[in-house]
Amino acid sequence: MSELNNNQRTRISIRVMQVLFGLLCLVVLGRVFFLQVIEYEQYSLQGERNSIRQEIISPPRGLIFDKKGELLVDNVPIFTLTINPANYDTSNNSLIANLLEIDVSIIRDQVTKARNYSWYRSSPLISDIDFEHFAVIQQNLWRLPGIGHQLESKRNYTQKVNASHILGYLREADREDFNSNKNIHLGDKIGKSGLELIYQEDLRGESGVEFKRVNAYGQTLGSFDLSSERRNAIEGANLISTIDSDLQAFAEDLLVNKTGAIIVMNPNTGAILTMASSPNYEVDRLAGRLDQSYWADINSDTTRPLFNRAISSRQPPGSTFKPLMGIIGLEEGLVTPETIIKNTGGYQRGRLYRDIAPKGDYDLVKAITYSSNTYFYKLMDDIATSGRLNKWSERVKDFGLGSDLEIDLPSATTGIVPDSAFLDRWFGKSRWGLGDLINLGIGQGIISVSPLQVATMTSAIANDGYRVYPYLVERIETNYSTTIPSKKSAKKIEWVNPKHLEIVKEGMKGVVQEGSGRFYVKNDVIDIGGKTGTAQNPHGYSHGWFTSFAPFESPEIVVTVFLENAGFASISAAPIARLVIEYQLTGSYSNYVYNYVKNWEPREDDSGQTTD
Amino acid sequence: MVSIKKELDWFTVFLWFGLSLIGLIAIYSATQGPVSEFLPSVIQNNFWKQLFFVGLSTGLLFSLQFINPSIFKNFSYLAYGLSLLLMIYTLFFGQEINGAKSWLRFGGFGLQSSEFMKITTILAAANYLTSRRNLSAEKIRYALVSFIIILVPTGLVIAQNDFGTAIIFIALIPIILFWSGLPYGVALLMISPAIILYLSVFDWLYGAIALVLLTIAVFFLQKSKWLSLVSLIMGTATVAAVQFALTNVLQPHQVARIIAFTNPSYDPTGAGWNVIQAKTAIGSGGWLGKGFLEGTQTQLRFLPEQWTDFIFCVVGEEFGFLGASILIVVFMIFLLRLLHLSINHKHPFAQLVTLSVASVYFMHFFINVGSATALLPVIGIPLPFISYGGSAFIANTLMLAICLNMDLYKREFSIYS
Repeated sequence: MSELNNNQRTRISIRVMQVLFGLLCLVVLGRVFFLQVIEYEQYSLQGERNSIRQEIISPPRGLIFDKKGELLVDNVPIFTLTINPANYDTSNNSLIANLLEIDVSIIRDQVTKARNYSWYRSSPLISDIDFEHFAVIQQNLWRLPGIGHQLESKRNYTQKVNASHILGYLREADREDFNSNKNIHLGDKIGKSGLELIYQEDLRGESGVEFKRVNAYGQTLGSFDLSSERRNAIEGANLISTIDSDLQAFAEDLLVNKTGAIIVMNPNTGAILTMASSPNYEVDRLAGRLDQSYWADINSDTTRPLFNRAISSRQPPGSTFKPLMGIIGLEEGLVTPETIIKNTGGYQRGRLYRDIAPKGDYDLVKAITYSSNTYFYKLMDDIATSGRLNKWSERVKDFGLGSDLEIDLPSATTGIVPDSAFLDRWFGKSRWGLGDLINLGIGQGIISVSPLQVATMTSAIANDGYRVYPYLVERIETNYSTTIPSKKSAKKIEWVNPKHLEIVKEGMKGVVQEGSGRFYVKNDVIDIGGKTGTAQNPHGYSHGWFTSFAPFESPEIVVTVFLENAGFASISAAPIARLVIEYQLTGSYSNYVYNYVKNWEPREDDSGQTTD
Repeated sequence: MVSIKKELDWFTVFLWFGLSLIGLIAIYSATQGPVSEFLPSVIQNNFWKQLFFVGLSTGLLFSLQFINPSIFKNFSYLAYGLSLLLMIYTLFFGQEINGAKSWLRFGGFGLQSSEFMKITTILAAANYLTSRRNLSAEKIRYALVSFIIILVPTGLVIAQNDFGTAIIFIALIPIILFWSGLPYGVALLMISPAIILYLSVFDWLYGAIALVLLTIAVFFLQKSKWLSLVSLIMGTATVAAVQFALTNVLQPHQVARIIAFTNPSYDPTGAGWNVIQAKTAIGSGGWLGKGFLEGTQTQLRFLPEQWTDFIFCVVGEEFGFLGASILIVVFMIFLLRLLHLSINHKHPFAQLVTLSVASVYFMHFFINVGSATALLPVIGIPLPFISYGGSAFIANTLMLAICLNMDLYKREFSIYS
């Protein structure tokens, strides 16, 4: 091959290259033309969407006050660290963990979670860090690329009362929540129990919408004016509750180290002044960053601190049921005030039903005062044998037992008050008999009620026969309006004869003056009507009841105390009720009884002289 | 003695300066515009550093014109050896940036040895091939040695974890072979696996169609049944290998990148993010662009590496099709002009060096803009003279200066050798 030929050949090669490069450059030019001119519409829209973000503005959640206007729940700002995984260097995990003094595995998990959500958008890393740690992070921010923060808020609770079962807690909405409610957004916290749950929609307010220009990190660069689309957030409504925080605090104090519930109710309206359930939980530890170990603890605790005994506990009412039995007996004409039933130490009907009240003759007042079982066994026997079981059941339910009280709290129990249909289901058709019914006369057997139901029953006795519907929220207030939550007002129980009520109330006064209440409830200042009760319990000591109203002549409060495994009620539940009444009506209380209650330990009654 | 003023190819210098200017404008927008508030100051300073590099390179470009061109030929092996040592040194003592260990630190400046390796590899390979009496690569031994000259630095670049640059090196092989007289059919055969591979990633059917067409073309160019058979077998093997790699060999994240290329919306915040943001930036530019410092994609930091690998998007978004086409056309004229200089040079060494330099520029241009416009998978390499980067800018200018020098002295050079 000659030099010339060779040169010729290479020149042609280079010419070919020239054509090739030129053509490929034109391909690139064509591609750019395609993107910029042909597909311009699509990309320009996408470009706008990219940098304009619709932002949901969460409104401040409504506050909760007690009846006197004392703040029970408000909001406090918290700092939340955020992470942008694209800029974040995972070798900083341990540095952050050290600065925050938490375990590095928590950081690692959160980083993984954030990465799974998005590489380029910010996710929360650790929420609710205190200001000191926040300041430390800010000082070290220069070596923590990808870390930012945002301001959020969390619920803040008064230190005065616990009221955890009333207030309830918030949790981050889960997938189910935002599938069922389109107003809930990712990361929103919503009420999961108590008033927070029932009044969720009122407390939440309405979220606003704002359009913002953002950069690729999701950092906001000021508002983007799209006024037609913009919507302001409307702050949540405040709840004015019926709770009297002084009384609530006092009641909670009395229940420390005890298991049970105290309810204080206005018998004329159903407004609940106090509802304490023990053991309770520290609701503030569930606010902000969830304390996982605490949450696990209270969920697995065998004493069930999350359980609101005041409304959810189901126990036989025991002798607290006797006054209502009397009212029904009088109404049905099975007894008159003068009817005398003799207690010979028990009631013989197929077997002996024991009665430990002093032997002798009892009329209704005396039977309530000394809690004679015989009188009520006989009465229940008469009701059953005269075919009035279902009538009896209806009348009991009219007083609130075995029926839905429609209180504004979740998971209140309906309880059980049997009728023939129920017993057919329970035992099987025609497989039950008188033997299963006689015990009902003294509030034992197949009957179970909640403390709130006992309080409702007591209210109806105290208020001349009106069925009240207990409630916790008096008013819902916004800046512009005040609304009263829809609730049923007190309703006269048609069949109740006020004269009959006077008779059983006389008996309940006797309980305090001469009966089981004479030790700790009787006092010189306030006339109290009440009734003890003992719910037999196969596991350990009996549960103690005391339900009462005061002042006797024109009742202002009903106090119902329920103590689990407390033994006899007269020396366990009754003194607590007395202190609560005294405190509420006079502002002071007997130190003797208070010290007795605080030092009290469960025991069966050893005096041997009294029943409940 | 030649007159630099009269005989220097001022047209090429002018094009070079035009490209550098476009680069400076784009880097200014990408680092000094409103976006600067989201950027660390190290990156904000990139504009000022680039301005310094352009100045330095201008001086270098002109002062190099006073050198006798035979030096490039005579010292090519020495320079090649020294830069290999530098590459090895970098491999052990270099600094890792964005996953690639290809940087040496000198005070505030980083030196990317592989950029200079490109020059010395071109010079050494060209020197070797053109020093043979018969400069044909038909002699298989010559061809092999020149392959090795190219493959050694390629291996080092791969060891530095810089695959983009490795592609540039490997692409030199067919170009040199083609120039040195490889039959067209064989040349086509050599690049056919790359074409089939590219298409097979989208769909094996595309790969199969390309395989058939290329085999037919090889047959008509060479009229050889054997070569056609080889083409058929190689092509089939490529299609099969791609399918096998996609399903069995590659790690999930590597597959994700490939899927992101063929369908960016598949994982918009993950692997497809860069592609989508780059396309959005360019596409939303329209005819005239959003205006200097007005691009939302650029200024709101939606573009990754917008001062280097994705700088084309900045031009496309802010100056629209008008700006982008000016860039492309200027680059195209620049490349064609260099090839024209190559043709006009009688000395084979100068011819091959200039051709290789133009090819390196072209590969950078095509891969960079192809990545940004989703014509190719995202391969991170800079756009010559436009992307920020001191080593790259100086090295690229140095290569140009050598070409201009050899063109300037083309009569003397031919006589000397």
